[in-house]
Amino acid sequence: MKTFSIGGVHPDDKKISAGSRIEVLPIPKTVYISMAQHLGGPAKAVVAPGDKVKTGQVIGEPTGFISAYVHSSVTGTVKSVGLRKDLAGIPVVHVEIETGPDEWADGIDTSDTLVTDIPQDRQFIIDRIKNNGVVGLGGATFPTHVKLCPPPDKKAECLILNGAECEPYLTSDYRIMLEKTSQIVVGAALMKKVLGVQRAVIGIEENKPEAISAMSAAVADLQKKSPDYSGIEVMTLKKKYPQGGEKQLIDAVMRRQVKSMGLPIDVGAVVQNVATSLAVYDAVQKNMPLISNTLTVTGDCLPADRQKNYLFRIGFPLSYIAEYNGGVPEGAVKIVSGGPMMGKAVSNFDAATLKGSSSILYLTAEQTERKPESNCIRCGKCAEACPMGLEPFLLNKLARNGMTEELEDNAVQDCIECGCCLYSCPANIPLLDVIRIAKGEVIRAIRARTAPKK
Amino acid sequence: MDRILVSPSPHIHARTSTSALMRDVVIALLPSVIVSILYYGWSAMVLLAASVVSCIVVEYLITRFMYKAPSTVGDWSSSVTGVLLFLNLPPSCPWWVAVIGAVFAIGVVKMTFGGLGQNLFNPAIAARVFLLVSFPTFMTNWAAPKGFIGGVDAVSGATPLGIVKEGLAQGMTLPEIYAQHDFSYLQTLFINIGGSAGEISAIAILAGFIYLLARKVIRPYITLSILATVFVFSGIFWIVNPDQYTDPLFNLLTGGVLLGAVFMATDYVTSPMSDKGGVIFGVGIGLLTILIRYFGSYPEGMSFAILIMNSVVPLINKFCKQKKYGR
Amino acid sequence: MTTTIIWTIAIITLLGVVLAVVLYLVAEKFKVEEDPRIDEVEKVMPGANCGGCGFAGCRAFAQSCVEAMNLDNNFCPVGGNETMKKVAAVLGLEVKEKAPMVAVVRCNGTCSNRPRTNDYGGYSSCKVKSALYSGDTGCFYGCLGCGDCVAACQFGALSMDPETGLPVVDEEKCTACGACVKACPKRIIELRNKGPKNRRVFVSCVNMEKGAAARKACKAACIGCGKCEKACPFGAVKVEHNVAYIDFEKCRLCRKCVVECPTGAIHDVNFPAPAVKPAPKPAAPASAAASAAKPVAQPAAPAAPEVKVSAAEAGKKVEPEKKSEE
Repeated sequence: MKTFSIGGVHPDDKKISAGSRIEVLPIPKTVYISMAQHLGGPAKAVVAPGDKVKTGQVIGEPTGFISAYVHSSVTGTVKSVGLRKDLAGIPVVHVEIETGPDEWADGIDTSDTLVTDIPQDRQFIIDRIKNNGVVGLGGATFPTHVKLCPPPDKKAECLILNGAECEPYLTSDYRIMLEKTSQIVVGAALMKKVLGVQRAVIGIEENKPEAISAMSAAVADLQKKSPDYSGIEVMTLKKKYPQGGEKQLIDAVMRRQVKSMGLPIDVGAVVQNVATSLAVYDAVQKNMPLISNTLTVTGDCLPADRQKNYLFRIGFPLSYIAEYNGGVPEGAVKIVSGGPMMGKAVSNFDAATLKGSSSILYLTAEQTERKPESNCIRCGKCAEACPMGLEPFLLNKLARNGMTEELEDNAVQDCIECGCCLYSCPANIPLLDVIRIAKGEVIRAIRARTAPKK
Repeated sequence: MDRILVSPSPHIHARTSTSALMRDVVIALLPSVIVSILYYGWSAMVLLAASVVSCIVVEYLITRFMYKAPSTVGDWSSSVTGVLLFLNLPPSCPWWVAVIGAVFAIGVVKMTFGGLGQNLFNPAIAARVFLLVSFPTFMTNWAAPKGFIGGVDAVSGATPLGIVKEGLAQGMTLPEIYAQHDFSYLQTLFINIGGSAGEISAIAILAGFIYLLARKVIRPYITLSILATVFVFSGIFWIVNPDQYTDPLFNLLTGGVLLGAVFMATDYVTSPMSDKGGVIFGVGIGLLTILIRYFGSYPEGMSFAILIMNSVVPLINKFCKQKKYGR
Repeated sequence: MTTTIIWTIAIITLLGVVLAVVLYLVAEKFKVEEDPRIDEVEKVMPGANCGGCGFAGCRAFAQSCVEAMNLDNNFCPVGGNETMKKVAAVLGLEVKEKAPMVAVVRCNGTCSNRPRTNDYGGYSSCKVKSALYSGDTGCFYGCLGCGDCVAACQFGALSMDPETGLPVVDEEKCTACGACVKACPKRIIELRNKGPKNRRVFVSCVNMEKGAAARKACKAACIGCGKCEKACPFGAVKVEHNVAYIDFEKCRLCRKCVVECPTGAIHDVNFPAPAVKPAPKPAAPASAAASAAKPVAQPAAPAAPEVKVSAAEAGKKVEPEKKSEE
């Protein structure tokens, strides 16, 4: 069984909500659609208060090369376009829409029929992906059409679909792998076509045997139908965090390592999440814009019957979903959007869901409160855990003393912020908190130094 | 839920803690402690109490009144030092020697550098060497006090290594020395009277080692590389001249090699961070131990070897880094 | 015995001579030619190496002064005009006097003014906190309260007030080096003219949200109403992005804006009595609390009309200054 070669930790996987089928959330009275749903330049709102919008209609246009379209997820009237706080309390432009009965924009296929024929026109696929606002749903929300069009001097060799879902608690990817199995495989074939690669690997962690067998069956089934599906395989990966990290997955699947400050394409890899693959399927085969995604509501303090996987549309307030689910459970002190290792803590629960929202995770004080920091005992557990082979204890010291050059020599810029160091530190030193800031500063310094040469 | 808690990721923690790790080390030391108390009786108990209590008290006083900070006694590290110090003392040693050792271990070796995690040398080992130099009579008096079992009453004597060293100095060959003092490996493995309190039973030490490995407190590289080096290096000498140089098994089982390799050299603070560094560190300790035993004037060399290698740990850490991803 | 001693002495002497020669040769080979005036200038510098001048340290500053032979662009904020005069004397140059500056905290989001909505559980650093989220209150612009500025200050001039949760500047110790300005991720701290008798008027808020939202987040926020702008006879106040800013070069300390401000976001410090609308009544002593807090300023108190301000409130306002005078 394959896995990445350096470091890693084994947190309890706690997939409590794994057995819950995806339920469709009803549409609230008002939705707030953020214009910054992706990495890169925020979209520019192209609607004004009073405008009537249909479901799937473009309401935000990309600004710049790395940006994406934003579509209305509901039918209704635009009430306002203005600043609203996101989940971190930071003001971002949102379009507020008062909702009415669903009326889909033209050209969208809302039927359930599986379309398995792969369009042969590469540009057609890319345009569909771009126009339907597909972004990476694995966490970084990088615009997918940009990632699928590598610069001409770089050649993709392998498409890796990330179905590892190595974060504890999260089950949304698992559920779509069970319920939208064939669609994901078709999405993979579409991306394979765009990239012109022969091989596509769907990596799934060993703790999801049902997903592995379902995906394998779907692949075998589709391969019988069309040669477009050849070269797609399902690979079982060891359960180890951060298996789903882009660089770790490439190491596990291809036994290649991306150079420092490099991109996966440098070693011929393109990594996409399984949820992105589903979005690609919808965008290309159904002309359906990315306006919905699956989200897990979970946590140890949440009663068993309320552990859910929901299909939400973008713009639903998190608090609305929580209310629908029965409210914030007793004992929860922290709400995380995303997994417990890399997710973002929510400070504003009224914030709207985004394309990349994957969970509402409730954590108790006992689980999440940090213990007071004590002296480093040089046990080396952080270095042992670091999947990038860094020395967090050293980086922490250098960062606290502002030693930028030494930080760069010790590769702080390679940190992937997976949190393994802080997770395993017996002295409760806030290693990642400190290193993250230092990494930002060093990367800025490197960019400033290399930019004029270009 | 009035105010939502916000903090940077990760939001969960393995919930390991310094105190839990240190407590595990104390538990791992228990077999050795119990065996030595059973065989050395009340005087061992007094020595243990003196050593542990004074380590804790000294740490408490220094953190409270010199650092003016909350006491760090709760992290169990001073208790570990106390127990280790006891295991490094001859069982017949007076209790006040242990107190002086504790003051030196905690007050000088550990706290002057800034407390836990900051010290360069292993406090217990440094204290043992300090006592050895300051009170050579007490520290080389291996008379065994009366124990609760075993009935050995004041067996005089030297440690096996001491006997060998003396015999060799008198111009005897090893077989002659062994013939004079009946000596058995089996005895060393289970109960060996003569030597420091902690050297009493190799089995007890190994039990602690297995516990530490099972609890993932330590990794085996340092210990194994020390033992392997001692075995191989002394083996070479022994093959060349079995009359002059003691055999590898003898070297492994005597003079605190096991105690040092399992509990002292693996101390987090004073050993290298990486596994590669740990192997270099272990090989260095093994080589130095044998060199001191064969060519130095002290019969056992473990303490000095560990101290010397402690001093090069920063250098090892600097040059032995694990492989980084993509570099 | 004697020979041993003689030999020892001889060998050691020889060794000493040889090493001395080696040392001399090495020193000659690696000698760095430097303008001796750099040393002289460095001697008159404060030697704090704080970097407030924009150079890596006092020596780098001295080097730059000597190389440029012109002090127009170089100023040591710590040593101030005194030091610059000395530097000018060493180099035989002219120097323009600069008005002394002081760091000013432009946030009045005390615990009572800004209701908390969140708790923070990570590493206590404003940098970390600001990279993560908006802060523990509804105000995105205000002080985060982790004290990065306090840590950055080399002169011990900053401290966190546990009562308000805001940093307090000790103006006696503040050298206006600007380290806190750089350390604050929210850019709340500004260097402003110290002002005559240390009297200053400034807007203690940087919230750029619209009035209602700003007010909701913080009782003492600047709501950008523009009353101050209209009240100012000298055109020193400008409201931009929903927040007022007082240009300290133009401000004449009349305090008309202070009176007008509906939220109390404009602060006046070191004035002997709180500002009020001009009234016909003649001067009267300031409230007890204010006078106790400002013994120095008291004799120089200009005609200040009596005010109906509770003693507690007056005391609170001058609290930062009280510390500095102790």
